[in-house]
Amino acid sequence: MWKLKTDKCVLRSWLCLSPSLLIIGLIIVFPMIYTAYISLTNMNIYNWFDFEIIGLVNYGRALLVFDSGFLHALSVTFLWTAANMILQLVIAFVMASLLNVGKLRLRRVYKTILMFPWAMPGYVSILLWRNGMFNSQFGLLNQWLDRLGFDPVRWLADDVTAFISCLAVNLWLALPFMIMIIDGALQSVDKSYYESALIDGAGWFDRSVKLTIPAIRPIIGPAVIITLFTTFKQFDVIYLLTQQVGAKTGANIHTVLTYTYETAFVTSNYGYSSAISMCIFALLMGLTLLVKTKQRRRNA
Amino acid sequence: MKRKIIAGFMAFLLLAVLAACDSAGTTPSVPDAPDAPDAVELIIWHDKEDAVAAELQAELDKLNPEIIVSLEKKHGLTEALKMSGNDPRAAPDMYFFAHDKLGVYAEMGLLAPVTDFVDAVTLDGFLPMTISAATYKGEVYQLPIYFETLLFMYNRAFMSDEDVPATTEDLYAYMQEVTKDGFYGFLEQHSEAYFSAGWIHGFGGEMISSDGVPQLNSEKTIAALNYHLKFVRLMIGESDYATTNTLFREGMAASTIGGPWLVPAVREAGIDLGLSEMPVVNETGLPLAPFSGVQGLHVLKVAADNADKNAAIGKVLNQLCNTDIGVSMAQASGSAPAFEECYELDTVQGDDMVMLMRKVAEDAVPMPSIPEMDVMWNAVNNMLVDVNMRRVDVEEAANKAQARAEELIAAMR
Repeated sequence: MWKLKTDKCVLRSWLCLSPSLLIIGLIIVFPMIYTAYISLTNMNIYNWFDFEIIGLVNYGRALLVFDSGFLHALSVTFLWTAANMILQLVIAFVMASLLNVGKLRLRRVYKTILMFPWAMPGYVSILLWRNGMFNSQFGLLNQWLDRLGFDPVRWLADDVTAFISCLAVNLWLALPFMIMIIDGALQSVDKSYYESALIDGAGWFDRSVKLTIPAIRPIIGPAVIITLFTTFKQFDVIYLLTQQVGAKTGANIHTVLTYTYETAFVTSNYGYSSAISMCIFALLMGLTLLVKTKQRRRNA
Repeated sequence: MKRKIIAGFMAFLLLAVLAACDSAGTTPSVPDAPDAPDAVELIIWHDKEDAVAAELQAELDKLNPEIIVSLEKKHGLTEALKMSGNDPRAAPDMYFFAHDKLGVYAEMGLLAPVTDFVDAVTLDGFLPMTISAATYKGEVYQLPIYFETLLFMYNRAFMSDEDVPATTEDLYAYMQEVTKDGFYGFLEQHSEAYFSAGWIHGFGGEMISSDGVPQLNSEKTIAALNYHLKFVRLMIGESDYATTNTLFREGMAASTIGGPWLVPAVREAGIDLGLSEMPVVNETGLPLAPFSGVQGLHVLKVAADNADKNAAIGKVLNQLCNTDIGVSMAQASGSAPAFEECYELDTVQGDDMVMLMRKVAEDAVPMPSIPEMDVMWNAVNNMLVDVNMRRVDVEEAANKAQARAEELIAAMR
């Protein structure tokens, strides 16, 4: 009798899960398997409908993409990811802490305003920044510089200023998510801990380092990992700000994805491009496992 | 009870997802019922402005009720064709687009030659440049309707008709004279391959040969890049469409090179716009020769192979081989008709821009339609950025771009 009930429960659970599993299967798992399959074929415009399996040939060629240019792009990607994560966490923590100051008025208004960048389509935001802020002739930044008597700066032309500009735009786009997560985490911390800490004479810094951060770490951990990988495989911010066809700015900053796009994906050789995608996928999986293992060790 | 409702809802969702998958694969491409019992229905994909599509539709409606043609505006047309171009259930019968992708689709086996439907005498009535653009490996794959190319444009508030530079050195002298304090004598998208092609052709160079070999480090290309650089130094650093055209529209640049698509916006901004032929390069005696793009109708092989549709496709194509549609579509798009007889009409002869475009098109180079050109844009743009924006040595940048172009072409196979 009990077994029958358990079986029914299991069946119902699977039934409830099946639409989600089916959708995940269709939009995530199937494209991955299909990409892996295409990577083993000679699918390109010359063999578009009559492509054949050619084994690991594309993988051999894909390794040639991992040249000095790719290694440079990889190092830029690591720098990009690290800079973004550090700045996002610090700024979001400070902003979320300020939003949780006891007697703050209009708290909800501030929170709503802070969510605006997240609500706007990324493509629109990036182009607005490009033309509205960074344009050397019409951009707001140069209008200010002009008023202050300085020469105009081509923000997106030089590698360093372009990198910083891309960083600023990405922070603008990504901070709302991180602020929201940290804000939620802060509200889950028991207030009595702070009362005890205050009685013990702990200042804001001590409370943050010794109480708040350890308390919220398990909650924000998954969000940090998600953001870490989203940032690592970022394409749109750097591409649209500096590399867009017809609107290149002169900066030569490439992440792994923008570099492989320019060196492989433009060729319409789907077998070859799929092999590169699978290599990048393997690289990301390796990094995920590394982070997970480190996290598990730390928790243990 | 609540659980049963949730389980029921989930089962419904699952069925809905499965049903959606099924219907997506079997939706017929011609949803409407025919007007006549034995009418043939044809679908044409396009990505054109509403005014252009309306003219095309009005002309093809003349075939109704025997043939019913539906125009479908398709965003991302080129990729959609790659995905579904040989699927009779999903592919259109024809598509209306520029000629520069026809090599790719011909190699993919998606296209049928239009010579299967239109006789050689009729095709002789089109401007040779347009037929040349529509031809790939000896087969004509497009019925040309109109074409566009870049023109020299100037603001009469700053540059009188008499002052229009006849040569590039005249242009340079003018730029030196008037460019200052945020005002520019001449502006163009200097680091964009489509716009810089005119300079390379003006030196007798080319981006890629007709047999698919990149020509980026040829003597002529290098000479063109070196010469162009002194003009670039008198232009704004940015090379994008928005910045360049906004400066011209706002009266902050005296002249530019632009396509017919720019004209309505410039006139709307209240600029007294002058149009002229391209300046001649002093060193070579050749005018700057921009790319030209020919817009026209292509026939999908899956439709041509369909016995029920074959004859109707022929009628559609032949319906478009007349002066009326040539003129009306060219006027709607601000471009020049491909059908030669159109130029004998008073309406066309009275249109300065169209007549000028035809004249410029005599020197213009049809965008190469070979598949290898797909990767050349990327290689040439990077080379131009290196030379014009990053101040890399011209020869070094050209050699690097040549090597990159060769790698990309090799990677296509």
